[in-house]
Amino acid sequence: MVKFLTEEWIEFSKKYMHEKLDPEKDLRNISTSLLNVIEHVPPDDSIMNFYLELQDGKLTDFVVSSGDTFEKEAVYEIRGSYGTFKSIIRGDTNMALALLKNRLKLVKGSKLKALKLIKPLDGVISSLRKITDEFED
Amino acid sequence: MCLENVLLNKNLKFEEAINIAKKGTHCGMCRIDFLETGLCSAGKKNGFIAYWPQGRMEIVNALNSGKVKPTKKLFEIVESCTFCGICDKQCNFTTQLRPQKVHEALKEYVQNLDQSEFQEIAEDDKLKKLQEIVGEKWATNDPIIIASYRRNIVNPDKELNFYAVMPENSKELSEVIKFANKNNLQYMARGGGTLFAMVSSTVMKNAMGLEDGIIIDLLRMKKLEINPEDLTATVGAGITAFELQKEAYKHGLRANVAEAGAHICANLASTGICTTWGNTYGWASDNYTDVELVDEEGNIFNHGEMEIKNPYSVEHGLTSLKLSPPGILTEAMVKLHPIFEGEEAVLVPFDNLKDALQLALKLAKQDIGLSLAVLSRKYLAEFLSPTPQIAKDFDYIAENYMKLNYVVDVICHKNDKKIVEDMVDFTIDKEMMKTLILGCPKLASLKGSEFLKILSEEENPCKAIFAGPMRNHLEKGLEANPENISKIYDEDLRDFFKKIYSKPQMTDVVWLHAFRIFPSRLMRQRMFIPRGGVMWATEKIITDFHDMLKETGEKYNLENALGYISFLEHGKFAVLEYDYYFDHTDPSISKNVNDAVIESLERTLMMDGIISDLHFYFKGLHRKEHILYPIPKAINDEEQILFRELIGSVLGGE
Repeated sequence: MVKFLTEEWIEFSKKYMHEKLDPEKDLRNISTSLLNVIEHVPPDDSIMNFYLELQDGKLTDFVVSSGDTFEKEAVYEIRGSYGTFKSIIRGDTNMALALLKNRLKLVKGSKLKALKLIKPLDGVISSLRKITDEFED
Repeated sequence: MCLENVLLNKNLKFEEAINIAKKGTHCGMCRIDFLETGLCSAGKKNGFIAYWPQGRMEIVNALNSGKVKPTKKLFEIVESCTFCGICDKQCNFTTQLRPQKVHEALKEYVQNLDQSEFQEIAEDDKLKKLQEIVGEKWATNDPIIIASYRRNIVNPDKELNFYAVMPENSKELSEVIKFANKNNLQYMARGGGTLFAMVSSTVMKNAMGLEDGIIIDLLRMKKLEINPEDLTATVGAGITAFELQKEAYKHGLRANVAEAGAHICANLASTGICTTWGNTYGWASDNYTDVELVDEEGNIFNHGEMEIKNPYSVEHGLTSLKLSPPGILTEAMVKLHPIFEGEEAVLVPFDNLKDALQLALKLAKQDIGLSLAVLSRKYLAEFLSPTPQIAKDFDYIAENYMKLNYVVDVICHKNDKKIVEDMVDFTIDKEMMKTLILGCPKLASLKGSEFLKILSEEENPCKAIFAGPMRNHLEKGLEANPENISKIYDEDLRDFFKKIYSKPQMTDVVWLHAFRIFPSRLMRQRMFIPRGGVMWATEKIITDFHDMLKETGEKYNLENALGYISFLEHGKFAVLEYDYYFDHTDPSISKNVNDAVIESLERTLMMDGIISDLHFYFKGLHRKEHILYPIPKAINDEEQILFRELIGSVLGGE
């Protein structure tokens, strides 16, 4: 188990998703990319991003970076606070609920199409939950 | 000594207190002075729900379930109650409960606690900062105070690791939000809390409650100014429907308001104040001229500002579900309307929905009725009857002897009353309504009587009893007067209720429609979950929708009934509320309620012309035209699959 958004967390996440998620069953063979912009990251109130890309249900890219710009173009871009992402990864809430409660904002991409990704994304989040046990206070 | 141990000792006083507490439904009527008794002094002084009767009952529930341990704050809360008895009068009128017995038992329990049994609260830097913003008294993380918000913003299944704050103004609220963002704390605001209370026993609690973070209680925002020169009122987020209406009436004006305990601002932001007065006064942004909000970044803004994005446009379709408003509404400039001289109430009884609907639609299209609705027998029985048993008997008599299943209920100018009377065979006039209000206990007692058997044999029992030869017998037989209705109350409250029912407004049907103190009786000792929507007003769409909601309620063995059907836009659109009633203290019923909610929502989406209530929640600040147009179409098969996945994620359904 590792700390959210660290280098170690990226490696663990990639490994876990490659090994445990079935491209067809869990990820429905989807091809898409998602940029998550995380605001108010403690302790400096900074911005971080994590980007993931899937091709035919296989994870092809998983990157974490800091700052409010990101070099890759994603199909979907979601913004939310560190606290919201923490709640999602801990399972206190989920992405759909956070979107409907306005705690996550879809700033790029179609909402209808994004909501169609809920099931496969739930699988990704569940796998992140299994490897993440530490957060910034 | 914990409360469970007290119960093990078979202390009847505690058992009774716990039974009362469990039946509490957070209707919020103990926080408004609707009987002119004055308000609970402890609640008024200390604000947090824990100090109000409804909150003390919730604390007893939490202690009883082991969800919370006593803290020193509990001692302070108990000591703040003066045992003045106001809550017993208010709560008895609405729910027939006696909250003071709960306070007495709680006080006895606290007095017998050993000092070592109080839970210590650790120092907390975040709390200190919140206290710097709103004042030490108005921010807390004390679990006892937090426990009082269970079932009315705090999901009852969650731990009590929350803060509760009561900002006095928008600036303080803005600072609270900025602090919450910086510290990654979730937050949610509450007004009266009744919407949260209604969903807290259902699957929707996951979607609507607060999972952790800061409870923002807006009760301290008490600004209320009537502006008679431009027919508006400036209303802070802590002002209830009753309080606004009372002030407006002093100026000969009326506001379009929901039930008496509902907070105007919260109600505007959530459902847009959807009432039977919408026939004339409108809905959603029709109700205000400007609003002040605090957005999620803590910025304070008004709709009147030129620089802001269009605040009125809304998403449509399946994915337009919203579970939060576009900011926290702190102040609204609401429209007021003149009260006309000689306004009248006229009710037309029907044995079937089709005929009632035809008349109501005809009236709506002709703009007749300041307030216009088809009301169900159930509403009539619940509103008029002072006890659940009388309501049940009234309902039975209306159905089986009178064949009175629906009424078209019109509040109108006196000239319009003549038009209504010309359109129908007979009506129930205001004198008869007065007789029914004061005489309903006696009427209920006539169940099985010879008089009612004879009545039921009439070709048109309603006509016979309201406008025919039996009217005089009924009026004499019911002995409808304040003294007789007061006899149904506990002996120590009879004199009080005799005075209450002697007040002209208690039998003034127009006043009762405007001040709406009776609808809280729908929440007496049990809960209901309203289902419904706004739809294109054809007879077929309305009746198909009604029948679907009825069928779903029946399928899941829920007591169910139409609430009301009202109209918007000169009868082009109809609003329909259909209610599922259930015992919120019985966990075994919750699966049925949840299934009925989800199934009825799915089936609504599969019908043409209807916007489900869940799809207009939190869109109350928008223009109704933006919500209503384009008129919705039924979802397709692909969208139905998506709906099931979405609802599974959002509501946790299967």
